[in-house]
Amino acid sequence: MFRISVTVCGRGISKRLASSFSGENALPSNLRIPSNLVDRARAKRPPPPSDSSLPVLRRCDAAIPVHLSPVQTWVETLERRDSKLLGLVDLHPDVFAVPTRIDILHEVELWQRNFKRISRAHTKVRSEVSGGGRKPWRQKGSGKARHGSIRSPIWRGGGVSHGPRGPTSFYYMLPMKVRVQGLKIALSSKLAQDYLHVVDTLNIPTPDPQYLMDLIRYRHWGESVLIVDAGEELPENILQATESLKTVNVIPAIGLNVHSMLKHEVLVLTLEAVKFLENKLLWHNERFTPLYPFKLPYTDLP
Amino acid sequence: MSFTRKPGGKALDILQNLPRISLANLRPEPGTKKAEKKRGRGQHGGNRSGRGHKGERQRGNRPRLGFEGGQTPFYLAIPKYGYNEGHSRRAQYQPLTLNRLQYLIDLGRVDPTQPIDLTQLVNGRGVTIQPQKRDYGVQLVGEGAGIFAAKVNIEVQMASEEAIAAIERNGGMVTTGFYDPRSLAVLCKPVPFFISGQPIPKRMLPGEDMVPYYTDAANRGYLADPEKIQKARIALAQKYGYILPDISKDELFHMLSMIKDPRQIFFGLSPGWVVNMAEKKILKPTDDKLLQYYSS
Repeated sequence: MFRISVTVCGRGISKRLASSFSGENALPSNLRIPSNLVDRARAKRPPPPSDSSLPVLRRCDAAIPVHLSPVQTWVETLERRDSKLLGLVDLHPDVFAVPTRIDILHEVELWQRNFKRISRAHTKVRSEVSGGGRKPWRQKGSGKARHGSIRSPIWRGGGVSHGPRGPTSFYYMLPMKVRVQGLKIALSSKLAQDYLHVVDTLNIPTPDPQYLMDLIRYRHWGESVLIVDAGEELPENILQATESLKTVNVIPAIGLNVHSMLKHEVLVLTLEAVKFLENKLLWHNERFTPLYPFKLPYTDLP
Repeated sequence: MSFTRKPGGKALDILQNLPRISLANLRPEPGTKKAEKKRGRGQHGGNRSGRGHKGERQRGNRPRLGFEGGQTPFYLAIPKYGYNEGHSRRAQYQPLTLNRLQYLIDLGRVDPTQPIDLTQLVNGRGVTIQPQKRDYGVQLVGEGAGIFAAKVNIEVQMASEEAIAAIERNGGMVTTGFYDPRSLAVLCKPVPFFISGQPIPKRMLPGEDMVPYYTDAANRGYLADPEKIQKARIALAQKYGYILPDISKDELFHMLSMIKDPRQIFFGLSPGWVVNMAEKKILKPTDDKLLQYYSS
């Protein structure tokens, strides 16, 4: 049972299981494997070799710092079920290869959950509970404990002393650069752990959801997929296909957020989405502090 | 340095062998979240809940802050004197050292080939002005006069003699001008003002106490006589021992001699005009009364 509990850390499981058998590759025949085990056929693919023959479809637009080099990954297509690699794409290291900080991801995730929260729990205080203005019985001589009102917090049916008071807002804003860094870290960790796929466009041949599920199953991508495109207009086929699917979702690039990226196992970006994200996320590295909100025009903002 | 470091470093290498980062794996850095003290719960928080034993302390009836048991408290025993009287109404001028000005010019955040205004300084994030907090502008301070080497036409609200000398030694021009709070707010943040659609206000003249300052040629005031200013430049050069360069022979003479009208806030824009940023148009008033008011 000890070995089956190792299934929680899914990837590389077959390697780890095999290592405990002193070099044998096969699993023991009497091992009971649960049905919800993460896909054993999925092997991590190594990064593209530098002498690969595939053409580089996109280079980085922004200048890359001298001491870093761009990260590369394959470009696939969704037209056919089997994965045909169209080429390579260069990704900016300051967006897709930043050092991982789980604490920043944790902060951004908590912020996303809490800043929208308005708790509407409300209890009545002793002054708000109906009744309780008159002294129930005289102070002395009745033999009962002394009381001033029937709605004091000691009484059954009385007010609550220190309960939740009215709608409370948990709104707070993390600094803009922390939120931006969270997005960069999430993208980098997806790329490093091989859960990021780049696709040329989102055109699929049929609006059938089964086609997408087959494609994902065939390519061993994972259980849940988040597909990101750049603009607002998405191809109809993919919208129809993902409408009924719970684990496969399409969002425009402006809607990309840390919670969705962590909730879905796999992230699929189009080339335009990569360009959009690099543009938006790298701008924060060089901007000045805002004098007035960024939505208003600036003539000379670097 | 031809050696290129691998982006992300060893962290991303280690990450490849670790489980997937998901919502279940996130945690804060150990030591950042300290548990809150819960009063009235448990062996240590319970019993008297940190309130002490009996008396006003436990019963929450302590007297007001500053009460000393009946003895005349400190804040009443000490006699009053107007050290801080009206402190919140005094004008404040944010200092701008020549060191900082040289730094901004060197980094390209402020352009010395155009007249340097408070707007240019704020756009280059050189100074932070809060018009709402009784800031009346920026004052030029002489620290760094030894290394200052830029020829600029600068307009500030106050300037020390050393700073004026340092700038004129390098062939530049200094002017001190007064901005009332509303004009200062417009000058510091022009874009939100233009978007509000109001006509550019005319700059008010300084109050009684500041008129002598701005009419004095030694301070290069904008209300002073230009001939007296020329004489003051020569006198200052003699005092500090440098040869006053002749800026009329300079190729940038036109830019260096640009000075604003006493009622003008922006170069090139007159009071009374409305700037439409969305359509990039300027609307000028045509009514006689308005023209008379704005040109007075």
